[in-house]
Amino acid sequence: MIGVFLLAALGAVALGAILALGRRTFEPGLWTQAAGAAGVGVAGFWAIGSGDTLGTGFASTFDPRLGVDGLSGLFLGTLGLIAAPAVVFSLRYLESTRRGRMTAALTAAFFLALALVVCARDPLTFLTGWELMTLLSGTVILVARRADRLSRQTVFNYLAVTHLGGVGTWVAVLLLADAHAFGGAVAISSGSGLQIAIALAALVGMGTKAGVMPLHVWLPRAHPIAPAPVSALMSGVMIKVALYGLVRVLVEWVGVLPVWFGVLVLAVGALSAVGGVVYALFQHDLKRLLALHSIENVGIIVLGLGACLILRARGADAWAAFALGAALLHTVNHAVFKSLLFLGAGAFERAVGSLELDRIGGLLRRMPWTAGAFLVGAMAIAGLPPLNGFASEWLTLQALLHVAAYGHVGDGIAGAIALATLAATAALALFCFVKVVGLVLLGPPRSEAAASAEEAPMPMRAALVFLGGVCVVLGLVPGLLFGPLVGLAPWSPGVPTHIGLELPGTGSLPGVWIAVVLVAITGSLTLLRGTRSAAPAPAWASGQLLEPGLRWTSAGFTKPLRLVLELVLRPQREITVQSEGGVLQKVSYSGHVPHLIDDHLYAPLERVSLAAAAQARRLQSGSLGTYVVYLAGLVLLLLAAARLGWIG
Amino acid sequence: MSGATAVAGAVQIVGGIALAPLLPGLVQHWKARLQGRRGPTPLQPYRELRRLWGKSAVAPEGATVVYRLAPAVTAAAIIAAVLVVPAASAAPSWGIGHDALLLVGLLALARFAIVTAAWDVGSGFSLIGASRDLTLSVFVEATLVLSLAVAALLAGTTDLRGVVAATAGTEVWTSPALALGALAFALVVVAETGRQPVDSPDTHLELTMIHEGPLLEFAGRDLVYLQWAAAARHWLVLVLAAQVFVPHPRDLWLQLAVLPAVLIVLCAALALVETLVAKMRVLVVPRLLAAGAIAALLGIASWLVSSS
Repeated sequence: MIGVFLLAALGAVALGAILALGRRTFEPGLWTQAAGAAGVGVAGFWAIGSGDTLGTGFASTFDPRLGVDGLSGLFLGTLGLIAAPAVVFSLRYLESTRRGRMTAALTAAFFLALALVVCARDPLTFLTGWELMTLLSGTVILVARRADRLSRQTVFNYLAVTHLGGVGTWVAVLLLADAHAFGGAVAISSGSGLQIAIALAALVGMGTKAGVMPLHVWLPRAHPIAPAPVSALMSGVMIKVALYGLVRVLVEWVGVLPVWFGVLVLAVGALSAVGGVVYALFQHDLKRLLALHSIENVGIIVLGLGACLILRARGADAWAAFALGAALLHTVNHAVFKSLLFLGAGAFERAVGSLELDRIGGLLRRMPWTAGAFLVGAMAIAGLPPLNGFASEWLTLQALLHVAAYGHVGDGIAGAIALATLAATAALALFCFVKVVGLVLLGPPRSEAAASAEEAPMPMRAALVFLGGVCVVLGLVPGLLFGPLVGLAPWSPGVPTHIGLELPGTGSLPGVWIAVVLVAITGSLTLLRGTRSAAPAPAWASGQLLEPGLRWTSAGFTKPLRLVLELVLRPQREITVQSEGGVLQKVSYSGHVPHLIDDHLYAPLERVSLAAAAQARRLQSGSLGTYVVYLAGLVLLLLAAARLGWIG
Repeated sequence: MSGATAVAGAVQIVGGIALAPLLPGLVQHWKARLQGRRGPTPLQPYRELRRLWGKSAVAPEGATVVYRLAPAVTAAAIIAAVLVVPAASAAPSWGIGHDALLLVGLLALARFAIVTAAWDVGSGFSLIGASRDLTLSVFVEATLVLSLAVAALLAGTTDLRGVVAATAGTEVWTSPALALGALAFALVVVAETGRQPVDSPDTHLELTMIHEGPLLEFAGRDLVYLQWAAAARHWLVLVLAAQVFVPHPRDLWLQLAVLPAVLIVLCAALALVETLVAKMRVLVVPRLLAAGAIAALLGIASWLVSSS
């Protein structure tokens, strides 16, 4: 029943892709896609709720197999939940030009590739979907940006990094298939070399695709230049599909990993969380800032995953399942608020023409619906109660605390450090989104375009308000989703589904009541305050008027933190003073925070590989004779190797 | 609900909402005495709140709903936090639980409301305070969570009622864990209450203020809410200090009886620290707080060593 429904929904998306190519059928095509995506979402969540499995199970053979179980259902559900509003948003965001139609069709193909990865039940289909998802997202960027210089360079970067890192995925999947353990049919013995090799390869390969530090280098470049709905799908779903692979391999298929591997995962998560948000703070472009926040949130999810692995190795099965539930819940939550923020950024870009933070301003008054939904998303990503981001961060914090509670000295301290890192990350995310809200939504308009910005048209607004509503609902009743997610762990003890979050060893987190208390008290205090107000007066600026020159900038607001972290971040700045005859003519200032991983890891790597390529080029003389010598040499070498018994 | 729980609930609500302004009043009073001045009476904060209640509010030109709602949201988040923090090892369930990490979230919500209002005002004084507050909050939040984690690990739960019960008596003090947690929490108390050496509550000199900055544009009843919220933060962190990080009796009635005395002693200690210590450079404060976080980590390490 669900299977037929799911197939029909996927068919609708494919049909919508074809229809969107036609000039007349562009709009019906997009509506068909949206309906199909919504159907996929419903079918996905249905599959978790009912606990059914559809299609065939996993097999290590190479004939194509497809199926859906609870975990696939979760990611299908998230995919549909994000893609449906994103496609509705595209109705007005993408114009019915040839480029727009092509983008819409390719986006639908991208959607289907993502669905293919989570439904794949054999190694070959899995790897096909995995590669398609990278290639199609790269193609959409190229098509949407007319393959300009920037997009060619970025997509090359994106494909190069994800393919080099992606080798890990192939190694992990093929090793699993070789051991007949794709799908976990054959247990791999704990602590064996094979288990560690698979787990490490998966962490590198799938971690690259998920954007964990230090393998994230492509992400803050590729996500910002895609069209907003594609950015939403890439940040909201594609990097989550990479995490789906990681959960499958590390949690389900390779058996119980040693404690040190869990600590390694925890370390990677902590680095991504804090590194992502620190670099996001010093960005001046909204979409790039949001992309770096994806790294932060992937880090938070990976922290939950690491906690799950350590707790499982320590035999604390109940809390291991809760930690997995926390990671999966944050996956859904981040998908929702990040796609809301990316779509919101798209709406702002369309209205203002720029996403440079210092040139927007005052949009809460110009675009109340879009900006209001964006504010909800910003509060959710900053982890404020009673929204959804807080619920899953609370769960992750609890999971890390229990790593310390159940661990021995080494992993216990690792858990405590991760706990402090996550707390600091939440505070940094708050800092960052206060800056974004302040510069984009509040204050006076900071450019003429912002002063005349117009509210986004209906379908775009509706998509944003819908996602904002999901943020609120998931914050109010996180327990309804958390219960089934805990049940996805193969060893799960099961947890009774509450509306709020009630776990042993914690105070409870009743989302609905927290919201009721906060809203009721805010409401009564507002009534008590009354409306008596003096006439508006200009803000106090030591008796001056608040002229544009006195306005605070993105760089100014984050300066105290930049100074505090100076030793680590090594910010650069340059001040040039021009004076003529002792009279000051002009002072110009420029400053930026260099990306240390780019500068100290990738830049040398790039230099070395270019130098190696230059050396390799000498082999290519172009003369036929040389190549004959090469061939003869190779044949002799192979013959010698066969003779000595090295090969064959 | 037993009689004792009901009384504990009454102390929690009356103390947190009505008596909170007395705490900063007491600190100011004793500070003046220590400095050889007569100073205002401990009731001075109430007088100021009453005076402000009669005045009208002012909104700067162009302020939006974010500015108008900020005082009410801040006060609501702090009231919810007052409901979360029990006055003793028992408290009625107010419907929102007593989880330690929820407290962290509610304090963050209060901070968010007030610093976004600073952006709505747009003046440099508001924003410099907001930006410093957020910078310090990164270190405060990490230290707060770690020091609460020390207590939660000892108690085996993050439910604050359980934490208060588990840290009662003298046995927990035989290992250094809680003492190290207390050291970290002491720094959180200073930072959250906005007192020297982190912030200077007396100054209205624009260049040195942190928490005072974003409040600058508010007037009338808006300012009442915000000043009350600042006072209630004293209650929240001092009650937690008294009932978790200071030795306290096991008996619920005794806990309630001793609480006022401990609060008075802690206020005196804050006054003493403010008299003895000068304000730090704002950029040096994170190092102090990081030292607190390291102390709490050492506390967790010592607990892990002793329990394994």
